[in-house]
Amino acid sequence: MKDAWAGYAWAVAAAFAATLAGFAMRGRFDLVNIAMVYLLAVVLVALHRSRGAAIAASILSVAAFDVLFVPPEGTLTVHDAQYLLTFAIILGVGLIVSRLVERARLQAREQAHLEIEAETERVRSAMLASISHDLRTPLAVMAGDSSTLVEAGERMAPGARQALARSVFDQARDLSERVNKLLQMTRLDTGAITVERDWSSIVDVADSAVRRLSDRLAAHRLIVEIPADLPLVRIDAALIEQALGNLLENAAKHTPPGTIVRLRARADGRLLVVSVEDHGGDATDVDLERMFRKFQHGSMEGTAGGVGLGLAICRAIVRLHGGDCWAERTPGGGMTFRISLPLERQPGIPAERSPATVDGPATDDPGR
Amino acid sequence: MDPRPTILVVEDEPEIRRFLRSSLEAEGYRMAESASARRGVVDAGTHKPDVVIVDLGLPDFDGVEVVRQIRQWSTVPIVILSARTQERAKIDAFEAGADDYVTKPFGIGELLARIKVALRHAVPRQAGGAILRFDDAAVDLERRAATRHGAPLHLTPIEFRLLSALARHLDRVVTHRQLLTEVWGPSHAGDTHYLRIYVKQLRDKLESDPLRPRHLLTEIGVGYRLLSGDAAS
Repeated sequence: MKDAWAGYAWAVAAAFAATLAGFAMRGRFDLVNIAMVYLLAVVLVALHRSRGAAIAASILSVAAFDVLFVPPEGTLTVHDAQYLLTFAIILGVGLIVSRLVERARLQAREQAHLEIEAETERVRSAMLASISHDLRTPLAVMAGDSSTLVEAGERMAPGARQALARSVFDQARDLSERVNKLLQMTRLDTGAITVERDWSSIVDVADSAVRRLSDRLAAHRLIVEIPADLPLVRIDAALIEQALGNLLENAAKHTPPGTIVRLRARADGRLLVVSVEDHGGDATDVDLERMFRKFQHGSMEGTAGGVGLGLAICRAIVRLHGGDCWAERTPGGGMTFRISLPLERQPGIPAERSPATVDGPATDDPGR
Repeated sequence: MDPRPTILVVEDEPEIRRFLRSSLEAEGYRMAESASARRGVVDAGTHKPDVVIVDLGLPDFDGVEVVRQIRQWSTVPIVILSARTQERAKIDAFEAGADDYVTKPFGIGELLARIKVALRHAVPRQAGGAILRFDDAAVDLERRAATRHGAPLHLTPIEFRLLSALARHLDRVVTHRQLLTEVWGPSHAGDTHYLRIYVKQLRDKLESDPLRPRHLLTEIGVGYRLLSGDAAS
């Protein structure tokens, strides 16, 4: 709407500028040349503005040209009929040019739309090809285990029965996590994720991620090192928790049980850096960049590999926050993944009144 | 009269209702079920359940709306079932008055634990005798006294108030907004950084390992949960 009004303003300005030029030319140039200046003004408006603005520019130009330059000046009357043709041409050119421009714009838009569709289609088929395997594997295991229970459960020892039921449960959880990752990646790709930032503590983020993944990390020795005076960060804590969780999950998945996984955070200038360091052995052959690609599996680990989206999701989330995520080799073997997040000026909090008043009534409000 | 506690399950998927029925009845509960949000709101009135379980993804209207409508007239504990992709809806459900949540897919053990907590706290605790036990510390909210390893521990008035607000919803989730409003007042409902700073102070004073808290737990993006001594072990 605002754009439309700007278009009409341009129409008026163009007709006005042409009129000024016309006055400057009067006496030295033929009236036909002044008509050409008006025509130029109309064409310029038609090229850059809407059809409505082009028509407005044509009408204004014709009217101004007629009243100010075509004898008898000062009236709309025209003595020489050839100027009627001039008017018609100015109007006609305005209409034709704006029509052409409109068509070109429409085509460009359609083209862009088609290109986006083609790209989406390409990603979708790559995704389907890659995930059909990753989703089918746990489904096949579940179908196998549960059918064994159905058909032979009564003849089995209770322990074996329990183990099969447990396997179905674990596979179902695993499958659900894979589906979550696929959904999350899709949402990140399509921009369907809104980052809702709030002052957050990395201790909270780590606490939540570590507890959520406690089962998977149970076989490893997890060490959490976060300095007590670490500043707060303005982040979407739920999203960063996912990112950090993916790194922890990745470490648990790709390193032998019993090895150390170290979760660390530190302030580094204007960045807060959180790292997950593992000691999974020789990583000299690992391509540090490739593993962040979508559907990238770490190694030949079969079903333990997940859908290969964990690191890609982590990086996408962190970049949405203006930070970055990258991998390094841990000195002495293993991988270290780091997340950096921009630090902002710390928010203030009113100091609480003298700590001597512990027994006082709760009516005071030092929070003001 | 059936003496068994009644659980109302508002869930549109018949398969999930079936699996809940077999598990809940095996555990000695009576289960009532509603297949839609609209029915759920009505059934919450007619069945007088002891706990309501609401799925967030219902076909007719939002599970959050079910929570909101039930809360208009009832304090019955509400446990929501949410998927990991419904984080925002989960926060809305807590703001609307839900007490707890279980993330789908869940093992029945998880849900039963949440139901037990909900039933335990359905009866408002009587005043007095509220002593919170941590691993090495104890806090008497009534007398406003705290100890760590038996020695007196100093807590500021705000720390006491924050702890009391969490203790009023012991073992359940309390949202950031609720805590900020209760402790600092409605004009500070958006000042989450106050909460981060005071939660850290409390963890430093009360938790054995403030980096791996066992009592004052983070519910990421939603709020905090204070676990009572027995539930944490």
